[in-house]
Amino acid sequence: MTQDLGPTPPDERPLPRRGVERLDLMLLCLEALDFNGGEAMIWLSQQLGYGGLFPNRVELWKRRCHNPLRRVCRRGELAAAETDALIRILCVMADRLYPMLRSLLSGGEPAAVTEHRWELFHHRLGELLRERMNPRRSGIQTLLDAEEGAEERLQLIRSLAFAAGTGGFERMKASLMDAVG
Amino acid sequence: MIQSAPMKQSLRYDQISCRLQLDGLPDVSAGQSSEAIGILTRWSLEWLGRPQLEGRREHLEALMAAVLPYARHLISGVERPFGDPEAPVSIEPAGEGRGRHRLQLRSSQPGVEPLQLELDDAELADLVRVLDQMRLDPRLQLPLPLPPPRPLRHRELSRRTPLARRLAAPLGGALALGLAAGVAALLPLPPLPAPDGGGRRENLTRPVPPPPPPASLPRR
Repeated sequence: MTQDLGPTPPDERPLPRRGVERLDLMLLCLEALDFNGGEAMIWLSQQLGYGGLFPNRVELWKRRCHNPLRRVCRRGELAAAETDALIRILCVMADRLYPMLRSLLSGGEPAAVTEHRWELFHHRLGELLRERMNPRRSGIQTLLDAEEGAEERLQLIRSLAFAAGTGGFERMKASLMDAVG
Repeated sequence: MIQSAPMKQSLRYDQISCRLQLDGLPDVSAGQSSEAIGILTRWSLEWLGRPQLEGRREHLEALMAAVLPYARHLISGVERPFGDPEAPVSIEPAGEGRGRHRLQLRSSQPGVEPLQLELDDAELADLVRVLDQMRLDPRLQLPLPLPPPRPLRHRELSRRTPLARRLAAPLGGALALGLAAGVAALLPLPPLPAPDGGGRRENLTRPVPPPPPPASLPRR
Protein backbone atom coordinates (compact mmCIF):
# COMPACT_ATOMS: atom_id res chain seq x y z
CA MET A 1 0.00 0.00 0.00
CA THR A 2 1.83 3.05 -1.21
CA GLN A 3 0.70 6.59 -1.61
CA ASP A 4 0.84 7.64 -5.24
CA LEU A 5 1.85 11.26 -5.12
CA GLY A 6 1.88 12.09 -8.82
CA PRO A 7 2.69 15.46 -10.28
CA THR A 8 1.49 18.68 -8.73
CA PRO A 9 -1.55 19.85 -10.66
CA PRO A 10 -1.21 23.12 -12.50
CA ASP A 11 -3.60 25.73 -11.16
CA GLU A 12 -4.59 27.32 -14.43
CA ARG A 13 -6.60 24.48 -15.90
CA PRO A 14 -10.35 25.10 -16.05
CA LEU A 15 -12.66 22.91 -14.05
CA PRO A 16 -14.16 20.01 -15.99
CA ARG A 17 -17.90 19.87 -16.55
CA ARG A 18 -18.40 17.43 -13.69
CA GLY A 19 -16.41 19.70 -11.37
CA VAL A 20 -18.57 22.72 -12.23
CA GLU A 21 -21.68 20.65 -11.54
CA ARG A 22 -20.43 19.55 -8.13
CA LEU A 23 -19.23 23.04 -7.21
CA ASP A 24 -22.62 24.58 -7.95
CA LEU A 25 -24.48 21.75 -6.19
CA MET A 26 -22.38 22.22 -3.07
CA LEU A 27 -23.06 25.95 -3.12
CA LEU A 28 -26.74 25.06 -3.41
CA CYS A 29 -26.40 22.75 -0.39
CA LEU A 30 -25.01 25.64 1.64
CA GLU A 31 -27.97 27.75 0.55
CA ALA A 32 -30.23 24.93 1.71
CA LEU A 33 -28.55 25.00 5.12
CA ASP A 34 -28.57 28.79 5.38
CA PHE A 35 -31.66 30.69 4.27
CA ASN A 36 -29.50 33.79 3.72
CA GLY A 37 -26.85 31.82 1.88
CA GLY A 38 -27.21 33.82 -1.33
CA GLU A 39 -26.64 37.09 0.51
CA ALA A 40 -23.78 35.54 2.47
CA MET A 41 -22.02 34.58 -0.78
CA ILE A 42 -22.14 38.16 -2.04
CA TRP A 43 -20.92 39.49 1.29
CA LEU A 44 -18.14 36.90 1.44
CA SER A 45 -16.98 37.63 -2.08
CA GLN A 46 -16.54 41.27 -1.08
CA GLN A 47 -14.79 40.30 2.15
CA LEU A 48 -12.42 37.92 0.36
CA GLY A 49 -11.52 40.55 -2.22
CA TYR A 50 -13.48 39.13 -5.15
CA GLY A 51 -15.61 42.25 -5.62
CA GLY A 52 -14.01 42.75 -9.02
CA LEU A 53 -14.97 39.28 -10.20
CA PHE A 54 -18.45 39.24 -8.69
CA PRO A 55 -19.51 42.86 -8.18
CA ASN A 56 -23.16 41.91 -7.72
CA ARG A 57 -25.43 38.91 -7.40
CA VAL A 58 -26.14 38.81 -11.15
CA GLU A 59 -22.46 38.29 -11.97
CA LEU A 60 -22.21 35.54 -9.38
CA TRP A 61 -25.37 33.93 -10.74
CA LYS A 62 -23.99 34.09 -14.29
CA ARG A 63 -20.86 32.20 -13.23
CA ARG A 64 -22.90 29.56 -11.44
CA CYS A 65 -25.08 29.15 -14.53
CA HIS A 66 -22.17 27.38 -16.24
CA ASN A 67 -23.45 24.32 -14.43
CA PRO A 68 -24.96 22.15 -17.19
CA LEU A 69 -27.62 20.91 -14.75
CA ARG A 70 -29.20 24.37 -14.51
CA ARG A 71 -32.51 25.23 -16.14
CA VAL A 72 -30.79 28.19 -17.77
CA CYS A 73 -27.31 27.11 -18.66
CA ARG A 74 -24.50 29.25 -20.08
CA ARG A 75 -21.96 27.91 -22.53
CA GLY A 76 -18.23 28.33 -22.37
CA GLU A 77 -15.64 27.68 -19.70
CA LEU A 78 -15.13 29.45 -16.42
CA ALA A 79 -11.71 31.02 -15.96
CA ALA A 80 -9.50 29.43 -13.32
CA ALA A 81 -9.52 32.67 -11.30
CA GLU A 82 -13.33 32.58 -11.21
CA THR A 83 -13.54 28.93 -10.14
CA ASP A 84 -10.83 29.51 -7.52
CA ALA A 85 -12.87 32.39 -6.12
CA LEU A 86 -16.02 30.26 -6.04
CA ILE A 87 -14.15 27.43 -4.29
CA ARG A 88 -12.75 29.84 -1.68
CA ILE A 89 -16.23 31.23 -1.06
CA LEU A 90 -17.51 27.64 -0.76
CA CYS A 91 -14.83 26.67 1.77
CA VAL A 92 -15.33 29.78 3.91
CA MET A 93 -19.10 29.33 3.89
CA ALA A 94 -18.69 25.66 4.80
CA ASP A 95 -16.46 26.78 7.66
CA ARG A 96 -19.16 29.14 8.94
CA LEU A 97 -21.80 26.44 8.65
CA TYR A 98 -19.54 23.67 9.97
CA PRO A 99 -21.61 23.08 13.14
CA MET A 100 -24.63 22.30 10.95
CA LEU A 101 -22.60 20.05 8.65
CA ARG A 102 -21.18 18.27 11.66
CA SER A 103 -24.56 17.75 13.23
CA LEU A 104 -25.74 16.03 10.04
CA LEU A 105 -22.75 13.68 10.08
CA SER A 106 -22.46 12.98 13.77
CA GLY A 107 -23.32 9.51 14.99
CA GLY A 108 -23.32 10.63 18.60
CA GLU A 109 -26.75 12.21 18.56
CA PRO A 110 -30.15 10.49 18.76
CA ALA A 111 -31.06 8.92 15.45
CA ALA A 112 -34.46 10.62 15.40
CA VAL A 113 -32.88 14.07 15.72
CA THR A 114 -30.38 13.37 12.94
CA GLU A 115 -33.13 11.96 10.75
CA HIS A 116 -35.25 15.07 11.27
CA ARG A 117 -32.29 17.27 10.29
CA TRP A 118 -31.78 15.28 7.11
CA GLU A 119 -35.48 15.58 6.29
CA LEU A 120 -35.33 19.35 6.67
CA PHE A 121 -32.22 19.54 4.53
CA HIS A 122 -33.75 17.29 1.86
CA HIS A 123 -36.92 19.40 1.79
CA ARG A 124 -35.06 22.69 1.43
CA LEU A 125 -32.59 21.33 -1.10
CA GLY A 126 -35.47 19.89 -3.11
CA GLU A 127 -37.15 23.30 -3.26
CA LEU A 128 -33.95 24.90 -4.55
CA LEU A 129 -33.33 22.10 -7.05
CA ARG A 130 -36.86 22.33 -8.47
CA GLU A 131 -36.55 26.11 -8.68
CA ARG A 132 -33.18 26.30 -10.42
CA MET A 133 -32.18 22.99 -11.95
CA ASN A 134 -33.36 21.09 -15.00
CA PRO A 135 -35.69 18.39 -13.62
CA ARG A 136 -35.21 16.23 -16.72
CA ARG A 137 -31.57 15.57 -15.86
CA SER A 138 -31.11 12.18 -14.23
CA GLY A 139 -28.68 13.59 -11.65
CA ILE A 140 -31.31 16.04 -10.45
CA GLN A 141 -34.02 13.40 -10.39
CA THR A 142 -31.76 11.21 -8.26
CA LEU A 143 -31.02 14.03 -5.84
CA LEU A 144 -34.73 14.78 -5.51
CA ASP A 145 -35.58 11.17 -4.74
CA ALA A 146 -35.84 10.53 -1.02
CA GLU A 147 -34.37 7.03 -1.16
CA GLU A 148 -32.06 6.99 -4.18
CA GLY A 149 -30.67 10.46 -3.54
CA ALA A 150 -29.76 9.89 0.11
CA GLU A 151 -26.26 8.67 -0.74
CA GLU A 152 -25.63 11.62 -3.09
CA ARG A 153 -26.79 14.15 -0.52
CA LEU A 154 -24.63 12.51 2.15
CA GLN A 155 -21.62 12.69 -0.17
CA LEU A 156 -22.19 16.41 -0.81
CA ILE A 157 -22.38 17.13 2.94
CA ARG A 158 -19.30 14.99 3.65
CA SER A 159 -17.33 16.80 0.96
CA LEU A 160 -18.28 20.15 2.48
CA ALA A 161 -17.31 19.03 6.00
CA PHE A 162 -13.89 17.74 4.93
CA ALA A 163 -13.14 20.86 2.89
CA ALA A 164 -14.41 23.47 5.35
CA GLY A 165 -12.01 26.26 6.16
CA THR A 166 -8.90 27.68 4.59
CA GLY A 167 -7.11 24.36 4.68
CA GLY A 168 -9.82 22.72 2.65
CA PHE A 169 -9.33 24.80 -0.49
CA GLU A 170 -6.59 22.64 -1.99
CA ARG A 171 -8.42 19.42 -1.16
CA MET A 172 -11.65 20.66 -2.69
CA LYS A 173 -9.98 22.04 -5.81
CA ALA A 174 -8.09 18.79 -6.39
CA SER A 175 -11.34 16.87 -6.00
CA LEU A 176 -13.20 19.09 -8.45
CA MET A 177 -10.37 18.54 -10.95
CA ASP A 178 -10.72 14.76 -10.73
CA ALA A 179 -10.16 12.77 -13.92
CA VAL A 180 -8.60 15.69 -15.77
CA GLY A 181 -5.54 14.96 -17.81
CA MET B 1 26.56 38.68 28.67
CA ILE B 2 23.62 36.83 30.09
CA GLN B 3 21.44 35.12 27.50
CA SER B 4 17.96 34.07 28.63
CA ALA B 5 16.87 30.53 27.87
CA PRO B 6 14.05 30.24 25.33
CA MET B 7 10.63 29.92 26.92
CA LYS B 8 8.61 26.77 26.42
CA GLN B 9 5.65 27.39 24.14
CA SER B 10 2.33 25.61 23.78
CA LEU B 11 -0.06 25.80 20.86
CA ARG B 12 -3.59 24.47 21.22
CA TYR B 13 -6.20 23.78 18.55
CA ASP B 14 -9.74 22.90 19.60
CA GLN B 15 -12.67 21.31 17.92
CA ILE B 16 -15.86 19.83 19.35
CA SER B 17 -14.56 16.30 19.86
CA CYS B 18 -10.79 16.71 20.00
CA ARG B 19 -8.00 19.00 21.08
CA LEU B 20 -4.48 19.04 19.69
CA GLN B 21 -1.71 20.53 21.78
CA LEU B 22 1.89 21.08 20.70
CA ASP B 23 4.69 21.82 23.13
CA GLY B 24 8.05 23.05 22.02
CA LEU B 25 10.63 25.75 21.89
CA PRO B 26 11.53 28.45 19.40
CA ASP B 27 14.64 27.75 17.41
CA VAL B 28 16.61 30.82 18.42
CA SER B 29 19.53 29.87 16.21
CA ALA B 30 17.19 30.17 13.20
CA GLY B 31 16.07 33.60 14.31
CA GLN B 32 12.56 32.57 15.31
CA SER B 33 10.50 34.78 17.57
CA SER B 34 9.83 33.79 21.15
CA GLU B 35 6.21 32.93 20.32
CA ALA B 36 7.12 30.39 17.64
CA ILE B 37 7.71 26.67 17.91
CA GLY B 38 10.65 25.47 15.88
CA ILE B 39 11.57 22.50 18.03
CA LEU B 40 8.71 20.16 18.91
CA THR B 41 9.18 18.40 22.23
CA ARG B 42 5.77 16.78 22.58
CA TRP B 43 2.30 16.72 21.11
CA SER B 44 -0.93 15.32 22.45
CA LEU B 45 -4.36 14.69 21.01
CA GLU B 46 -7.24 14.51 23.44
CA TRP B 47 -10.48 12.86 22.41
CA LEU B 48 -13.78 13.17 24.15
CA GLY B 49 -14.25 9.89 25.99
CA ARG B 50 -11.20 8.23 24.46
CA PRO B 51 -7.59 7.71 25.52
CA GLN B 52 -5.22 10.58 24.95
CA LEU B 53 -2.66 10.17 22.20
CA GLU B 54 0.81 11.61 22.38
CA GLY B 55 4.08 11.19 20.61
CA ARG B 56 7.05 12.72 18.93
CA ARG B 57 7.38 14.70 15.75
CA GLU B 58 7.57 11.66 13.46
CA HIS B 59 4.28 10.39 14.87
CA LEU B 60 2.63 13.73 14.15
CA GLU B 61 3.98 13.64 10.60
CA ALA B 62 2.65 10.09 10.18
CA LEU B 63 -0.76 11.20 11.49
CA MET B 64 -0.91 14.03 8.95
CA ALA B 65 0.36 11.83 6.12
CA ALA B 66 -2.41 9.30 6.74
CA VAL B 67 -5.40 11.43 7.73
CA LEU B 68 -5.23 14.36 5.31
CA PRO B 69 -4.92 12.32 2.06
CA TYR B 70 -7.64 10.00 3.39
CA ALA B 71 -9.95 13.01 3.86
CA ARG B 72 -9.05 14.32 0.42
CA HIS B 73 -10.11 11.00 -1.12
CA LEU B 74 -13.35 11.05 0.86
CA ILE B 75 -14.23 14.38 -0.77
CA SER B 76 -14.14 12.53 -4.09
CA GLY B 77 -16.17 9.68 -2.63
CA VAL B 78 -13.24 7.24 -2.64
CA GLU B 79 -12.70 5.23 0.52
CA ARG B 80 -9.28 3.59 0.61
CA PRO B 81 -6.79 2.90 3.39
CA PHE B 82 -3.76 5.10 3.99
CA GLY B 83 -0.64 4.24 5.95
CA ASP B 84 1.41 1.06 5.75
CA PRO B 85 0.69 -1.75 8.25
CA GLU B 86 4.10 -1.02 9.80
CA ALA B 87 3.65 2.75 9.83
CA PRO B 88 3.03 4.50 13.16
CA VAL B 89 -0.41 5.63 11.94
CA SER B 90 -2.84 4.18 9.44
CA ILE B 91 -6.48 4.81 8.68
CA GLU B 92 -9.04 2.78 6.77
CA PRO B 93 -12.80 2.52 6.31
CA ALA B 94 -14.40 0.55 9.14
CA GLY B 95 -17.10 -1.98 8.43
CA GLU B 96 -19.50 -2.22 5.55
CA GLY B 97 -21.49 0.94 6.12
CA ARG B 98 -20.15 4.32 5.16
CA GLY B 99 -19.30 6.99 7.67
CA ARG B 100 -17.06 4.96 10.00
CA HIS B 101 -13.28 5.09 9.98
CA ARG B 102 -10.68 3.06 11.87
CA LEU B 103 -7.57 4.93 12.99
CA GLN B 104 -4.72 2.66 14.11
CA LEU B 105 -1.76 3.92 16.09
CA ARG B 106 1.25 1.70 16.65
CA SER B 107 3.72 2.31 19.39
CA SER B 108 7.44 2.16 18.67
CA GLN B 109 7.90 0.27 21.94
CA PRO B 110 7.96 -3.51 21.54
CA GLY B 111 5.12 -5.56 22.94
CA VAL B 112 2.56 -2.76 22.88
CA GLU B 113 -0.63 -3.59 21.03
CA PRO B 114 -1.77 -1.08 18.40
CA LEU B 115 -4.44 1.31 19.56
CA GLN B 116 -7.58 1.36 17.43
CA LEU B 117 -10.02 4.23 17.36
CA GLU B 118 -13.29 4.15 15.46
CA LEU B 119 -14.36 7.58 14.30
CA ASP B 120 -17.52 8.73 12.59
CA ASP B 121 -17.52 11.34 9.84
CA ALA B 122 -17.98 14.20 12.29
CA GLU B 123 -15.06 13.14 14.49
CA LEU B 124 -12.83 12.62 11.48
CA ALA B 125 -13.78 16.07 10.18
CA ASP B 126 -12.84 17.51 13.59
CA LEU B 127 -9.46 15.80 13.39
CA VAL B 128 -8.89 17.13 9.87
CA ARG B 129 -9.74 20.63 11.04
CA VAL B 130 -7.30 20.61 13.96
CA LEU B 131 -4.56 19.33 11.65
CA ASP B 132 -5.41 22.07 9.15
CA GLN B 133 -5.33 24.71 11.88
CA MET B 134 -1.95 23.43 13.02
CA ARG B 135 -0.26 23.26 9.62
CA LEU B 136 -1.51 26.73 8.65
CA ASP B 137 -0.54 28.35 11.95
CA PRO B 138 2.32 30.79 11.28
CA ARG B 139 3.56 30.31 14.85
CA LEU B 140 4.44 26.70 14.06
CA GLN B 141 7.70 27.11 12.17
CA LEU B 142 8.36 23.45 11.81
CA PRO B 143 8.74 21.90 8.38
CA LEU B 144 6.02 19.25 8.13
CA PRO B 145 6.36 17.66 4.71
CA LEU B 146 3.03 16.93 3.10
CA PRO B 147 2.44 16.42 -0.62
CA PRO B 148 -0.16 18.77 -2.11
CA PRO B 149 -3.54 17.21 -2.92
CA ARG B 150 -3.89 16.18 -6.55
CA PRO B 151 -6.80 15.19 -8.78
CA LEU B 152 -7.60 11.49 -8.93
CA ARG B 153 -7.34 9.52 -12.14
CA HIS B 154 -10.17 7.54 -13.73
CA ARG B 155 -8.68 4.33 -12.38
CA GLU B 156 -8.71 5.66 -8.82
CA LEU B 157 -12.25 7.00 -9.14
CA SER B 158 -13.55 3.60 -10.22
CA ARG B 159 -13.00 2.42 -6.64
CA ARG B 160 -16.06 4.34 -5.50
CA THR B 161 -18.30 2.26 -7.78
CA PRO B 162 -19.09 -1.18 -6.34
CA LEU B 163 -17.52 -4.07 -8.23
CA ALA B 164 -20.94 -5.54 -9.08
CA ARG B 165 -22.05 -2.27 -10.69
CA ARG B 166 -18.75 -1.91 -12.54
CA LEU B 167 -19.07 -5.41 -13.98
CA ALA B 168 -22.80 -5.16 -14.73
CA ALA B 169 -22.47 -3.45 -18.12
CA PRO B 170 -19.73 -5.66 -19.66
CA LEU B 171 -21.28 -8.85 -18.25
CA GLY B 172 -24.72 -7.81 -19.49
CA GLY B 173 -23.29 -7.09 -22.95
CA ALA B 174 -21.50 -10.44 -23.09
CA LEU B 175 -24.66 -12.24 -21.95
CA ALA B 176 -26.79 -10.48 -24.58
CA LEU B 177 -24.25 -11.33 -27.26
CA GLY B 178 -24.19 -14.98 -26.20
CA LEU B 179 -27.99 -15.19 -26.18
CA ALA B 180 -28.21 -13.61 -29.62
CA ALA B 181 -25.60 -16.04 -30.94
CA GLY B 182 -27.49 -19.00 -29.40
CA VAL B 183 -30.81 -17.95 -30.89
CA ALA B 184 -29.17 -17.42 -34.27
CA ALA B 185 -27.64 -20.90 -34.09
CA LEU B 186 -31.10 -22.44 -33.47
CA LEU B 187 -32.68 -20.85 -36.54
CA PRO B 188 -32.95 -23.25 -39.54
CA LEU B 189 -30.64 -22.56 -42.41
CA PRO B 190 -32.24 -21.63 -45.76
CA PRO B 191 -32.42 -24.63 -48.17
CA LEU B 192 -29.61 -24.95 -50.65
CA PRO B 193 -30.60 -24.45 -54.31
CA ALA B 194 -31.22 -27.66 -56.30
CA PRO B 195 -28.43 -28.50 -58.78
CA ASP B 196 -30.87 -28.83 -61.72
CA GLY B 197 -32.28 -25.41 -61.01
CA GLY B 198 -35.75 -24.12 -60.24
CA GLY B 199 -37.92 -21.54 -61.86
CA ARG B 200 -36.07 -18.62 -60.38
CA ARG B 201 -32.77 -20.19 -61.27
CA GLU B 202 -33.89 -20.56 -64.93
CA ASN B 203 -34.68 -16.91 -64.99
CA LEU B 204 -31.38 -16.05 -63.50
CA THR B 205 -29.38 -18.29 -65.85
CA ARG B 206 -31.22 -17.29 -69.00
CA PRO B 207 -28.65 -16.25 -71.59
CA VAL B 208 -28.37 -12.54 -71.82
CA PRO B 209 -28.75 -11.19 -75.36
CA PRO B 210 -25.60 -9.61 -76.71
CA PRO B 211 -25.47 -5.84 -76.42
CA PRO B 212 -26.24 -3.86 -79.59
CA PRO B 213 -23.22 -2.80 -81.62
CA PRO B 214 -22.04 0.71 -80.81
CA ALA B 215 -23.47 3.36 -83.12
CA SER B 216 -20.82 4.79 -85.38
CA LEU B 217 -20.63 8.50 -85.83
CA PRO B 218 -21.44 9.66 -89.36
CA ARG B 219 -18.42 10.81 -91.25
CA ARG B 220 -18.40 14.21 -92.82
